[in-house]
Amino acid sequence: MTDVEAPTQSSGLWSRAWRRLRRDRAGMAALLVVATYFAVACTVWLGLAGQGWSALGADSFAPASAEHWFGTTRNGQDIFARTIYSTRVAFEIGLVVAISSTLLGALFGALSGYFAGSWIDETILWVKGTLDAIPFFLFVVAVAYAVQGHPLAMHFAMIVTFWTTTGRYVRGEVIKLRNMEFVEAARAVGVSQASIIFRHVLPNTTHILLVQATIVFVTAIKAEVILSFLGLGVQDGVSWGLMISQSTNEVTAGFFNNFIAASVAMFMLVMAFNFFADALQDALDPRKVEEAS
Amino acid sequence: MQLGLYLLRRIATGIPLILGVTFISFLLMVYFGPDMTFELVGKNPTAEQIAQVRIQLGYDQPFLVRYWHYLVELATLDLGRSISTGESVRSLLAETVPVSMALTLPGFVLGNLLGIGLALLAAWFRGGWVDRGIMAFSVIGMSISFLIIIIAFQVFFSSRYGINYFPVRGWDMRSLGSYLYYVTVPTLAIVFVSLGYNTRFYRAVFVEEIGRDHIRTARAFGAGPVAILGKYVLKNSLIPIVTRIMFSIPSIVIAGSLLIESYFGIPGVGKLAYDAVTTGDQPVLKAVVGATALLFVVVLILNDMLYRAVDPRVALK
Repeated sequence: MTDVEAPTQSSGLWSRAWRRLRRDRAGMAALLVVATYFAVACTVWLGLAGQGWSALGADSFAPASAEHWFGTTRNGQDIFARTIYSTRVAFEIGLVVAISSTLLGALFGALSGYFAGSWIDETILWVKGTLDAIPFFLFVVAVAYAVQGHPLAMHFAMIVTFWTTTGRYVRGEVIKLRNMEFVEAARAVGVSQASIIFRHVLPNTTHILLVQATIVFVTAIKAEVILSFLGLGVQDGVSWGLMISQSTNEVTAGFFNNFIAASVAMFMLVMAFNFFADALQDALDPRKVEEAS
Repeated sequence: MQLGLYLLRRIATGIPLILGVTFISFLLMVYFGPDMTFELVGKNPTAEQIAQVRIQLGYDQPFLVRYWHYLVELATLDLGRSISTGESVRSLLAETVPVSMALTLPGFVLGNLLGIGLALLAAWFRGGWVDRGIMAFSVIGMSISFLIIIIAFQVFFSSRYGINYFPVRGWDMRSLGSYLYYVTVPTLAIVFVSLGYNTRFYRAVFVEEIGRDHIRTARAFGAGPVAILGKYVLKNSLIPIVTRIMFSIPSIVIAGSLLIESYFGIPGVGKLAYDAVTTGDQPVLKAVVGATALLFVVVLILNDMLYRAVDPRVALK
């Protein structure tokens, strides 16, 4: 019964959300910007652009020209190539952190909500409370100290701390869902608990997961900049954070190309993502869906 | 009496949290952290000296015993000495905590007050162009990285490419003039970076409150916007406001602003922690993380007390 009903119900929610999203002009413009950035990141992945990001040899602080669109850095590296290549790094960090922490949040949030009040719930809440009690940057500092320059230290720290918010939202939603008739029906026909949680309850929280993932994505990209400046972020390679921290020595000498290129590139992506996350949240808001139907 | 009992119960529920936080910091910094033996032995140590230091550091003890020692250290505030300077960690904290507070407090207060003001404005004109303008600016403000703001502000305020009126680095609190001289640019940066988040958060709270029946009734009785917003909306929204402000306190007092302090060269707790990572100064780092976590639990308890002060309906359960 649930197998027949679930797809039609969910496609109803999704198609309505998509219709509403399409009407949201700011949201669609933001989506277009994000898609453009993603396309740029893909060309870097495929090796079509930004490959000369570490090549030295050009003049130091060359102004913008046909050869170096955004000029060059102190070391004579092409700023345009570095900006483009950093797009890929930003997407890698954002996607890894957003997907991992959303999965963790979904898993623990669902378990905690379904078994609310039991020792499983208490334990998960305890872990969540503990992680929330340590300020994020201090936690990163501690992780960086523990693993001493491991390239994934930053990712690990972000994933471990960012899943808690998602987990809290999912827990609340699952507590509401677990008392609904379709769960009771599944239980009555003898569906196993694991199957109820992961096949019947959790898919109904997808709208929360999607919005949370976009928010975590933005947070991760922004955190990377600060961590890279502190020397706790991207270890080798290039990223917007490394470009900006490199530029701190250049702006005092009056060379702003590196700073502006990285700042604007990052600002546009983060802003577009923020607007898109808002539009997505509005489109998926179940209260509004009910009003419309 | 009732209050005392309540406090005891509340502190008891804080214990698992304290255990959890100290356990994580123990795991990260003591158990999985780098081996400290060679920081302590002299040059060309003999095998005996190394073994002796390892015993002194407790490396030969089982896991739980070492965790217990760590807890005792924290509880008795016996935090040891900094490896790089030899100063006692307690006096290091006593020097740096006031600096961090003086640095971040003005920006924190202004950022919240301005955020509440803008949010009231946006919520009052909900859906209009004032609201949409304020919200668009909030999202834009949220999208600019803190680091970018700091660099841009410094170029504008403290370099010959801008008005060049404030210092690039340093800190001095001996007189009000010098304090203002050093604190202005960091404060502006803190206000700028927090304003978007604060406005968005408070607007959501106020919009919810304005939609309630008692506000409609007040309007029907002819109450003006100042009376409605100040007397009914703001007062009824105090719980989320207090919560947000209280929970920001640990990160302000102790975590300070890692970024601001290391960028402006200000000797606060953030810089202390950052330097401790780069120099591998384990006692300092342990103390900062442990103290922040303890402060968080204190805040959690105080927050519940404040709820009662703010809203008499909340009983001491």
